[in-house]
Parts: sequence; C-alpha cells; structure tokens
Amino acid sequence: MENPQKFSPEKITSDLLPQPFGRRGKLWTAALLLVALIGAFAYIQQLRKGLVVTNMGDYVSWGIYISNFVFFVAISLVGSLITAIFRLADVPWRTPLTRISEIIAVSAITFAALIIIVDMGRPERMLYLFLHGRLQSPIMWDVIVISTYFCTSLLLLYITLLPDIKIMIAAREKLGTPFAKFYRWLGSFWKGTEAQEKMRDKSITLICIVIIPVAFCIHTVTSWLFATTYRPGWDSTNFGAYFVSGAFLVGAGGVVVAMYVFRRVYKLEHYITERHFDKMGKILVMLALLYLYFNVNEYLVPAFKMKKDEEAHLQALFTGDFAPLFWFAIIVGMIIPIFILVFPKGRKPNAMFAAGVMVVVGAWFKRYLIVTPTLLHPFLPKFDAPARYSHYFPSWQEWAITSGSLAGVLLIITFFARVFPIISIYKTITDHDSELPS
Amino acid sequence: MTANYHHKIIILASLLLATATTKLTAQDSAAAVTTLSVRYFLPENKLPYIEVNTKKKVGRKFDPVTSVPVNIYFNEPAPANLLGKVITGKDGLARVFIPASFKSAWDSLSEIKFIAESDSIKGEPALSGDVTVRKAILVIDTTNADGVRGVTAQLKERKGADWVAIKDIEMKLGVKRMLGNLSVGEADTYTADSTGLASAEFKRDSLAGDSKGNLVLVARVEDNDTYGNLVVEKSVPWGKGVIADTHFWHRSLWSTGNRVPVWLLFLAISIIAGVWGVIIYLIRQVIKMKKMGKDFDAALLSRTT
Repeated sequence: MENPQKFSPEKITSDLLPQPFGRRGKLWTAALLLVALIGAFAYIQQLRKGLVVTNMGDYVSWGIYISNFVFFVAISLVGSLITAIFRLADVPWRTPLTRISEIIAVSAITFAALIIIVDMGRPERMLYLFLHGRLQSPIMWDVIVISTYFCTSLLLLYITLLPDIKIMIAAREKLGTPFAKFYRWLGSFWKGTEAQEKMRDKSITLICIVIIPVAFCIHTVTSWLFATTYRPGWDSTNFGAYFVSGAFLVGAGGVVVAMYVFRRVYKLEHYITERHFDKMGKILVMLALLYLYFNVNEYLVPAFKMKKDEEAHLQALFTGDFAPLFWFAIIVGMIIPIFILVFPKGRKPNAMFAAGVMVVVGAWFKRYLIVTPTLLHPFLPKFDAPARYSHYFPSWQEWAITSGSLAGVLLIITFFARVFPIISIYKTITDHDSELPS
Repeated sequence: MTANYHHKIIILASLLLATATTKLTAQDSAAAVTTLSVRYFLPENKLPYIEVNTKKKVGRKFDPVTSVPVNIYFNEPAPANLLGKVITGKDGLARVFIPASFKSAWDSLSEIKFIAESDSIKGEPALSGDVTVRKAILVIDTTNADGVRGVTAQLKERKGADWVAIKDIEMKLGVKRMLGNLSVGEADTYTADSTGLASAEFKRDSLAGDSKGNLVLVARVEDNDTYGNLVVEKSVPWGKGVIADTHFWHRSLWSTGNRVPVWLLFLAISIIAGVWGVIIYLIRQVIKMKKMGKDFDAALLSRTT
C-alpha cells in the first residue's frame, strides 16, 4: 500500500474532491428516495387521520418514533467524540474521520428533531411548546438542547469546511458547474489569509470546547425524559451515564460503517487506512465494554432484587416476549463485537464493518427495548383495558415513517458526500506538509 | 344395557346443549334491536327537559347507538306539538328543553305525555317511545331539633290551586361531593310517610365544605313511574370550612410555566445564555472572516489597478 504522505497536494485534491454518482450511487440514492417518499406518504396519512393510524395507545404512548428519536440523538453524539474530543486531545490520525462524524451528527440530529414532530401528531402545536412551554419540563430542556446542538454541529461542519470550499472553487473546471454558485455563496470570502486562519482555528477550538458539554447534555437530558418518570426500567439514577456511554458506542459504530463504505465507494484506501480501522476498533471495543458495564448495572441489580412491581417488566425482557430482542441487543450489539474487535485480525476493515453494523443494529433495538417494554408494564395495574393495550407492534405507517427517517439521514450523508469532500482536503494536505522532513 | 343407557344420556345431553345454544343465540339476536327510551327531568323545579336514549343490547350489556335523529312531541305526535328534533350523541343520549311556546299548554295540563319517534334509517326499523308524567315539584328543607340536624323533602302534586304532598314516594337525600352524592344518613333511600314527608337525620359531621363550610344538600326522585326524575338542592353551612391549598400557585417544579422556581430559571438562563453567547460569537467570527475576505479582494483589486 502506498503511503499518502508521499502524495502531492494535487494528487490529494484530485483523490478527495467530490465525485458524481456512478451507477451504484444512483441506484442507492433512488432506493433511499423511494423509502423516504413512502415514509412521507405514510406521514401524510397520519396528518390526515391523526395518530390513530399508529398502534400506540393509552399505555404505549411512546412507540417506535421515540425509540428512533433516542437512536438518532445517540448516533449524533459522535460529532463531539471524533471532532471535538480528538481535536482537543490532539489525536493525530483523526483527519479522515472528522468530517464523516460531523455529517453523521448533523443529519442524525436533524431527523431526531423531525421525528419528535412526527410523534406529536399535530405539528402545528410545536409552536405552543415555545409559546406556552414549561421550563420545569425535561421535554422543554430537550427541545432547547437539541436546537442548540444542531446549531453548534452545523457551525462546526461549516467552519471546518471553509478551506475545502476554496479548493473546490479553484477546481471548478474539474468539478463542473452544478454546484459552483453554491460553493461561491458558501465560502468565496475564504482567502486563507493568516488572520482568517487564526480566527478559524480559534473558532474551531472554542466550538470544540462548547460542543462536548452540549453533546453530553443532549443525551443526558434525553435520558432524563425517561428517568424523571417513575416507571419500571426508567427509575434509575444511572440513566444519564448509561445513555451517554451507549451513544458513544453507537456513534463510533456508525463512523466505522461509514468509513468502510466511503473507503470502498470512493476508493480511499490510502486515506482511510487499516491503521484507522485498528485505532477505531480499539475505541469501539472500549466503548462496548463500557456500555456493557452500564447494562450490567441497569439490569443485573434490579434482577437481583426482583421487586414485585418490576418483576413483570424484567421477566418480559429476560425470558418473555422481548427476550429474543433483548438478548440480540446484548449479544449481537455488544458481546460479539467485543470478541471480534479484541483481536488484531478483528480490527481489519471487513471484520470492523461487520462489527460496526452489529453495533448499530443492536443499538437501534436497544432503544426500542428501553422505550416499549417499560410502557407495557406500568406500576399501576391495568384496569378495564382492552387486551390489545397489552401488546404493541408498530403499524405499517409507523414502520414506513421510521424507515423514511432512517433513509432521510442516509440521504443527507449521501448528498453531502456528492457536494463536499468527505475527507478534509485542506487538512490532509497540511497534515502531509507538517509530517514532511524539513 | 349399560352402553345403551350411556348412549341415551349422551344423546339427551347433546340435545339439551343444542337447545340451550339455540336459545342463547336467539336471545342475543333478539336483543340486538335498537330501543328508544324517553325520560322526564325537572331540575330545581324550573325548566323541565326530556331526554331520549337509543341503545342496543350486545351480549350482556347495552351499547349506545349514536347519531340517531329523534323527534320529540308534546302529548300528540303532530307537527304542531313538536318540542324539538335531536340527534343522539356518543353516549346515545340527547335532550330537549320544553320551549316557552308550550307554556300555556303546560300550565293547562296536570298529566303530560311525551312521545319520541325516529324514522327508519340504515335498514333499522323505525323507533318510538313515550313517557307519561304527572306534574310535580320537589321541596327540600332542613330541621334542627335539640341540636340534631335533619333533612326533609316532599314531592308535591298540583291539585286545584294547591300543591299537595304525596305519600309513599321513595327518594334519595344526600350531600353533593366531587364524584356523586353521599347519603345524609345510613340508608340509601328514604320513603315519604303518610304526610308525604321524607326525613333523615344528618349524620355526616365534619364533612369538608367550601371555604365557608357550606355543603350542598340534594333531594332526588329517580325514575318514578308517575312523576319522572326530579332533583332539588339546598346549600347549608353544616360542613367544615376548607381553605384551598395555595401551594399550587407558588413557584415550583409542578406549577405552571410562568411560575418556574427561581433557582431553575437562573440555572437555565445562565446555561442557555452561556452556550448561545458562544454560538452568536462564532457567527460573528464568520461574519468577520467574510469581511476580511472582502477587504482582501478590495486590496488585491487596488494593487492590480
């Protein structure tokens, strides 16, 4: 394998400039658009007929939408992990991963906000939250922190993009005209002067300092939506840390999957190297162990006590209706990835991709398991409730909207990669310059 | 012999089961017919109203039949006697107050018939029902003999120019509470004696009333075949004054949005201001960088010219 440090800036620029979709890219985009459109159609039905099209009811009032919301919030945390923490810790190999994690963060947090509006049933009532909101409510904190994290992540993405926009404006002959105006509108002012560089550098450092507590807040507050209510499985003082550790894991898993896909599709083997996979593998195994530790705390301690009121909920998870999903999320989402990644061979790209997919899929089901079984097993006994209230399986509209939102996240990432370099050209060149012998 | 005997028992049991099943099914299908009932109400001896109820027996219970249009007539089912047209609601109920235009007819009669009719809709048979009531009023009063409080009520019927108390009428005497009426004594119902007076000793001491200790006594005649439903209330200062807990209006975590605890308000505003201050600062930095870029272009242009 060639060493990218030997590449000239021209070669790096040529390799990393955004490329038009090939046949596979077009098919991928069309498939995502189709899923998103079916989701939009289902949402129109929900708007017209109301939340009655869902299978949510008196008990499961937070179904697949909120599970999906928690998943999106979780995966968005990666923006702060890779960009901010790695930058402040001066991790030298972070460059090829930062933009991938930033766009994952922006797209996931966008759809986290949208899925909440979907769950509300009446989107126009979102305004009431601002007009008549109660600051005492964790839901209000969540709204504030999500919008703050969205703005912060967007700013981080934009400010780090500026030098690359200049490169793309300069390479307009190669890139063609489709986005030339857009690039000029976004960053024609960027000249790369010393003063601008200094200001940009200072801004990125500042935003990295701010985004870490904001990112911790967003996931802690999301966990408080659950933990501040008295229900089996949610009544825990551990929830904030449990959610944050899970979010780091799924975020890192998402980045690994994206790294693998971009590496293969855009032939970036010289930029996203096996070394990056190895490093990310080590981080992933550490995060998986950490999350497993929190899971042991969350489930083993209540299971040891087996309080009468919580018994039905725990039994449903361990041996009941939700047992297959629960053990899938624990074994496939955590334990198998740990066994894969703990060995150096498991930290090779293909094995890493498999582990990353397991982590992400396991994490999605884990969120479902946090939300739904608890709602089906309230402390207060169910009285005179129809039998269907004791079960929840999402309606086709719920599945379509959820799939549509997942497709929406992937579409944002896909379109972003079509318009902007998925690895910072400028940073790769400067890393290369700084590592050359003087 | 024994086998033959067993066969007979099995055949008999099967026949019995089949008959029972047929009967049960027949009962269910026969009960699945919509019925229309009419009831007369007189609250506080003021404006009477007629309530109609459409329902259908499903299994062992009655389910309301909704959206049934019903015409309600006074005495005769003629257009001139139409009290009103109603449509039954979600609970299968609808009511009409007797219009002022029927006052003279109302005053001239001591016994009135109310007829409800509904045309056949959606393949269902036409429905009709009626109720006949004698005009009466219900009077509630209180007694206090040697410190023993009592509640009395009389149902009075018009005879000539006078209102005469009716004997042997069963009625309920209670105290109004949040979710219903609590009987003033130990019995559920009280029957008027030979003088037409129903009386009960008030045994509910220390009941919580309003801020001044007022309780509302209620006398009810329910579904009487001759007089219908009558209810009358009287406020008495026999309860314990309760001052509402005003903590709800203090600043607290469970209060309304404009009563946020000061510590939370301070904390939230500080955090929001801190973070958004940085965001605004960063946006300003971007604007400054933009200006630098323009200045750079202008300087370049001036150098080249």
